[in-house]
Amino acid sequence: MNLQNLLNLAHLHLLLNHWPIIGTFIGVGLFVVALIAKSEDLKKASLGVFSIIALFAIPTYTSGNAAYEVIRREETITKTMVDAHQGAALMSFIFMEITGAFAWLGLWQYRRVSRPASYTLPAVLFFSVVSVGLLTITGNTGGDIRHPEIRSGQETTSFVSSIGSALFSSTQHMVTDASRWVWPVLEDLHFLGLTLLLGTLGLLDLRILGFFKPLRLAPLVKFVPWAIAGFVMNMITGFLFFVGMPFFYAYNFDFHMKMFGVLFAGVNILLLFCTDAFRECDQLGATEEAPALAKFFAATSIFLVVAVIILGRYMPFFEDSLRPLN
Amino acid sequence: MWIRDSPSVFAYWFILTWHAIGMGLLVGASAVIDLRLLGVAREMPMAPLKRLYPLMWVGFWIQVVSGILLIIAYPTKALTNPVFYAKLTFIGVAFVMMLRINKRIFNDPSLSDEGMMIKGKNLATWSLVCWIGAMTAGRFLAYTFNYLMFPDEQQSAGLNASFAFLYSLEPYLKSIGAAGSHVLRLMGHI
Repeated sequence: MNLQNLLNLAHLHLLLNHWPIIGTFIGVGLFVVALIAKSEDLKKASLGVFSIIALFAIPTYTSGNAAYEVIRREETITKTMVDAHQGAALMSFIFMEITGAFAWLGLWQYRRVSRPASYTLPAVLFFSVVSVGLLTITGNTGGDIRHPEIRSGQETTSFVSSIGSALFSSTQHMVTDASRWVWPVLEDLHFLGLTLLLGTLGLLDLRILGFFKPLRLAPLVKFVPWAIAGFVMNMITGFLFFVGMPFFYAYNFDFHMKMFGVLFAGVNILLLFCTDAFRECDQLGATEEAPALAKFFAATSIFLVVAVIILGRYMPFFEDSLRPLN
Repeated sequence: MWIRDSPSVFAYWFILTWHAIGMGLLVGASAVIDLRLLGVAREMPMAPLKRLYPLMWVGFWIQVVSGILLIIAYPTKALTNPVFYAKLTFIGVAFVMMLRINKRIFNDPSLSDEGMMIKGKNLATWSLVCWIGAMTAGRFLAYTFNYLMFPDEQQSAGLNASFAFLYSLEPYLKSIGAAGSHVLRLMGHI
């Protein structure tokens, strides 16, 4: 099966890759202003930006490997340039995800107890500022690949890029070659995370939709951290799979669809349970109905999680569906 | 045979997908009850959780039907693997725990929520442990099988003499072999 005319991976990467960089810059700017102005609303807004950008970084990173294959045969592009970009991108990705995780935690604390714990905001500030530095290098090395007019002449590899590249190959070795048991154990954790996510989130969504009426929502919300734990567990194991066999996934049409599914599912969970948008939902009494908009997002949340599971299970079926023909 | 060979999207991967969704329903809902019994979300009343049982039954029957179809697709693969029997044992124990929690905890009107938690602690722990065990065993089935099918072209070289008589069946197994090597190639990437 070949689906190449459905999706050009280089286009996909170009379409996505400016967003995480610009988004993080805007996020940091907004966050610093919020800290100086001591504006809680601005702080929440920038935490939201960081969380969403962290989700956006997933398809951006994963489309990169695929994009390389499309442009590989162009003579002006060297392997050194691409490696430098990939190393820096990996480092940026990791720090952006950590920033996003703390930002997510902060939003959750805002929603539950109206103020974040003492360590949350400093952690967000630290990791986001490091991300900005790393993203600058990623953007520059990426720009060298696609914009010949700005190349400096000699090929340089930065310190960050070499750390990233070393990390990439050691992780790949650990996941695929170190022991035949690493991969199955990671798969197992991936499925445990899936079950945790579907079980806890599913119950919350069903209650918002109007099932299990005698239950108040407030105690059920205690399960949200468990759902997030499942999500994070699957993010980490999933990312290790990708680093382990990038080209199995990069050429897979289904995989890219799944990454968009994860992006939307993540934004949906964030919006419904972690921002203030549906805060009144938490107080829902035993027989009360949730607002229609909350019901809409609860329904899409179930739909997206199930869609992600289906896309995940179908992945081997779409193997090589995007492999370049020659 | 159709399940294994059909290029249709509705064959093997479709059934695997159902198996994963059924698992999420059954184990996910069961885990919520277990976690509640173990003290997560204490303020939540127990009684309404009984209504998760229909959901778990739906998941359970999805698992039974899709599981049997998967065994029909690769009978040798599962039945020659000790891990498969470990999985069945875990499922059996977890299933009994699920029924006992229903019978002894939810259907005992004399119990308060606190009483339920005290009485259900062991059941819930075992239920969680066994579900995790069953999932782990199930996932490992994909990596630990000895014989994917009857000895086919790829595997016959490595088999010992006790299987020699099967070599005479080779012509008949050729067609299975072709499918087998295709599947092996796929398996290598899962």
